[in-house]
Amino acid sequence: MIGIGGYNLRDTYLSPSTDINYTGWVARVLNERMKVVSLADYKVSRQQLINIEFGTTTNGAETATEYAGFADYILGYHYRFTQVLPGLKILTGASAHLMGGFIYNTRNSNNPASGKADLDLNLSAMAIYNFKLKQLPLTLRYQAEIPFVGMLFSMHKGEPYYYLTQEGYDGVVSFSSLHNKFAMRNYITLDVPVSTFTIRVGYLNSIYRTDINKIKTHVISNSFMIGLVKEFISFGGKRMKKHTDLYQSAYY
Amino acid sequence: MKMKFIYLILFCCIICSSCEKATDYNSSPRDNFETLWRIMDENYCFFEFKDVDWDEVHERYSLLVKDTMNQYELFDLLADMLAEVKDGHTNLISSFDMSRYWAWYEDYPANFNEDIQDNYLGTDYKIAGGMKYKRLVNDQIGYVYYGSFSSGVGENNLDYMLVHFKDCKGLIFDVRDNGGGTLTYSDRIASRFLKERILTGYTQYKKGNGHTDFTDPKPVYISPSDRILWTRPVVVLTNRHSYSATNDFVNIMRLLPQVTIMGDRTGGGSGLPFSSELPNGWSIRFSACPMLDINKQHTEFGIDPDVSVSMTEEDMAKGKDTIIDSAIELLLSKADSTNTTTK
Repeated sequence: MIGIGGYNLRDTYLSPSTDINYTGWVARVLNERMKVVSLADYKVSRQQLINIEFGTTTNGAETATEYAGFADYILGYHYRFTQVLPGLKILTGASAHLMGGFIYNTRNSNNPASGKADLDLNLSAMAIYNFKLKQLPLTLRYQAEIPFVGMLFSMHKGEPYYYLTQEGYDGVVSFSSLHNKFAMRNYITLDVPVSTFTIRVGYLNSIYRTDINKIKTHVISNSFMIGLVKEFISFGGKRMKKHTDLYQSAYY
Repeated sequence: MKMKFIYLILFCCIICSSCEKATDYNSSPRDNFETLWRIMDENYCFFEFKDVDWDEVHERYSLLVKDTMNQYELFDLLADMLAEVKDGHTNLISSFDMSRYWAWYEDYPANFNEDIQDNYLGTDYKIAGGMKYKRLVNDQIGYVYYGSFSSGVGENNLDYMLVHFKDCKGLIFDVRDNGGGTLTYSDRIASRFLKERILTGYTQYKKGNGHTDFTDPKPVYISPSDRILWTRPVVVLTNRHSYSATNDFVNIMRLLPQVTIMGDRTGGGSGLPFSSELPNGWSIRFSACPMLDINKQHTEFGIDPDVSVSMTEEDMAKGKDTIIDSAIELLLSKADSTNTTTK
């Protein structure tokens, strides 16, 4: 999926002793893959998300620019409670999240950029609801994820990156949990079948706040997403031989 | 039922979304004055060393802030307040002006003249990585002029330059009027003159908002380059405009036995500058992280040369650079004494 939306940044490493926000636009590419796996008698699904985003923002006076870029990989496993209500599935589980990125201020001196690298364990929940609107089958999904424990890279307040070359990296990797980091991802999608394919439209709200090493950061985005959904049926290996009645291979 | 579920999702989205607004542009003289004062109060690193009572500065300047001030009047007032710390790394930058404190070189003799330097460099000098270099005095002395540590110097640049001087008896490394730049280049160049790993000083940064909330000094070492080295006599030429990264370079070079610092005191500037900003969009740059010498002393106000030499009016009238001539004389005399000893 591709998306575009609003971006709101604050990083007190880049603007010490201020509460100035930078606002602007973000563009992102999101690739999501879900698969039912054999765990718990096929009641667990695996979700993989790869997100790449880049944003450009300015301060309130529009005299300075900050660019930000992030890449995320999320691997989650959810237990599936099917048919909680007619058409409704609830998925709950956990995920591991690896993120790297930067915020870059174009006019700063020895604090031009704030590097980010996080590894989190998230709590994750999802509701998938199938319904029809005038005979049109639609699928609505809401997912929320919150990291509860992890580790992250953060410079200290007032420490220049040059000092890292002088072996000044004590304490730049910190334990993170809800006391110093709050992040949340709210993801809503609607799948609409059109002709022979399915269009997915969505809204992604992402909140990332940290208060570590006396540096406060937030990265908040609200993006509207659109993309295509494809479903693949895997009959590789031995399964391919067992269930030849279920498919006609184009190749074998 | 369907609608209830949709409403529930929308409600979740609303409560989880950000309620924060972007900080609006704010041109209030009072708010910008207070923000600037606080940024300096919490982050500037030399209040104690320079014995500046920042609270007293607040009291004095606060009385001068008026809501009716226009942006030019406010800028001048804030610039005056920043000048109280007498720091070349501290600037207020607007779209129409940049405040500065440059008395650390403007109030002293220049001790450098490009036109006179041209009499030594001529037009057939070489340029590599921002360094102008040439062999002088019948190829006996190598001369390098490096005018800015912002000019990228690569390892290959240094290799070719040192090979060019392989038959020279001594080397002049001229960093006069070099206002600084990137510390990485300072380390890279200095590493070509080392025989062994040495302690060059200590670094600190402010871990809190108090004026003395510094981290413990952390030792900084520099190792010799594994490429071409220069271990013969060197004279580093300095003047009051040798500032910031240049001051750091001189701080390293003065520790080496074969190096003589010659000229005028450096301009100093030993605090690494950080940046922040005001609600009206003006940028503020200030010294944030002190770099100490090997005795854990500040070099913010400069480093004295080993041999103090000034350009004389008489020499200048003849088109001569007294400091370069003195360096040549020193290097030749060292070469002669080495030859005599060898014999």
